[in-house]
Amino acid sequence: MIQELVATLHLEMLLSLIRAAILLGAGVLIASLAGRLSMRSFRQRLSPQMLQLLKRIVFYGIFGLFLAAALSELGFSIAVIMGAAGVLTVAIGFASQTTASNLISGLFLIGEHSFEIGDVIKVGDTIGEVLSIDALSVKLRTFDNLFVRIPNESLIKSEVTTLTRFPIRRLDLKLGVAYKEDINHVRDVLLAVADANILCLDEPAPLFIFTGFGDSALEIQFSVWAKRENFLALRNGVTADIKAAFDAAGIEIPFPHLSIYTGEVTKPFPVRIADSKAENSNDD
Amino acid sequence: MTQHPQQQKKTLWWTPREVPAGHRLHGSLGALELSLGHDTDEWLLDCAPVGEDDIQPRASLKVEKGLPETIGERFVHAGKSDQVHLSAMLADRPVVIRPRQPVFLLSQQTVTLYLSTPIWLKIQVGEPAVLLKEFPAQPLSDTWFGPSTREGELCYAGRTHARHNPSELPRRPHRAITPLTILNKASTPLPLEKFSLPVPMLALYGDVDGMLWTQAVTLTREGQTDLASVQIDSRPPAYGKGLIRLAPPRQEPGRSGLVRAFSLLFGT
Repeated sequence: MIQELVATLHLEMLLSLIRAAILLGAGVLIASLAGRLSMRSFRQRLSPQMLQLLKRIVFYGIFGLFLAAALSELGFSIAVIMGAAGVLTVAIGFASQTTASNLISGLFLIGEHSFEIGDVIKVGDTIGEVLSIDALSVKLRTFDNLFVRIPNESLIKSEVTTLTRFPIRRLDLKLGVAYKEDINHVRDVLLAVADANILCLDEPAPLFIFTGFGDSALEIQFSVWAKRENFLALRNGVTADIKAAFDAAGIEIPFPHLSIYTGEVTKPFPVRIADSKAENSNDD
Repeated sequence: MTQHPQQQKKTLWWTPREVPAGHRLHGSLGALELSLGHDTDEWLLDCAPVGEDDIQPRASLKVEKGLPETIGERFVHAGKSDQVHLSAMLADRPVVIRPRQPVFLLSQQTVTLYLSTPIWLKIQVGEPAVLLKEFPAQPLSDTWFGPSTREGELCYAGRTHARHNPSELPRRPHRAITPLTILNKASTPLPLEKFSLPVPMLALYGDVDGMLWTQAVTLTREGQTDLASVQIDSRPPAYGKGLIRLAPPRQEPGRSGLVRAFSLLFGT
């Protein structure tokens, strides 16, 4: 009699386990289908970042419901589980502060819209394309094809530059010309170079700033604007154009000069012309 | 709009031609030296810019024996057709026009300026026509047009003599002329330092002499408000003989025309 009862109970439990497993399996399947479907339906209207977020919300929402149903099938009370989960969350929260911090930072990063998937950002010395903004970290692909993972917490704390936010960019070139050169002539040559280069925007107009009297050269900043996609091509093209134009116009780009001065009151350096023949014979 | 007489079709560069295998379509089209060769199973294209002083007033494209001497690009095909169709389109972005010298339009005055912008050359081959390449007949510099570096749009930059007498217009087969009428209803002079010409919203027409025209555009600076309106004439231009529509607008203009802030159109 008791054996039969135990056998029935085992069978009941086994059936519950199977039902829960089926619920979980169906949950994964339906949640992943719903996630993909929601992505497909909103592809035209939402950015890749928002699409990924939507997919995750749909997936975890539906999967959560199926998980709760499976647990309920196994005889767990949802209210008790939620209560226990609350206590557990506090305990885990204390134990894994960094993870929690990254998680919260991730939410702020998404909410702030500083950058999105596909943007090119600069964090510290790392420049790369954003592959994904996940719960704990942001994944980048650098231009030398390396995969970089940056924790969300450090992104929130540090300076992030989004290079692809605006359609146009400015290229600042620092130049030096010899002291003998006429600044106005240099300015005209540089503006003619910018005018001839079709990648260089007509407006905003190129900027010519005389930045100061350097140690060996007159220092100049020449800034030109380009369409974001043409930035690198302009950077390479315009520097070569400037060198060629300076050479053609006879404008000197000086090397560092060093003048040795012994002071007004001191005697000049004694200069002795050595007898090369005598020195050569000494060498032997 | 009238159709071309049959005999004139041969002379105009945009009429389709037969280029048999082993032959090439060679010659100049304004600022462009073009050579399109037909090899057994590929088209060979070579384009080179022509210096400002060497631009011919008429297009001179002929079918001749032989393939291009230098090859810039190769387009592989499996079609049997020998037909080549060169066609023209207007620029894909607005062109910001800057007169070479500042021009001012006095209060309550109207002026019609004739502005030319380079065309985009579209090469199609075969029957039905397949696109080979579309490119500007004269490369244009980019420019930004807007109140700040954050707001605005990318345009092409164009320089003009801002001629207001159509008889003074030079004949250039690679440029389309837009008659632009400007009305200044305000009480102050209107500086025409630069203005944005909505070229993608215009249709392109060709006349029997091979000159290209677009519809007329009217820019009105309103008197009291800080607004300006752009009106695109729905009729073909009133210039040139035997006009034929070569290309529709890339973007459809709205029926009521565009009303924008004055600063957005004139960049002041």
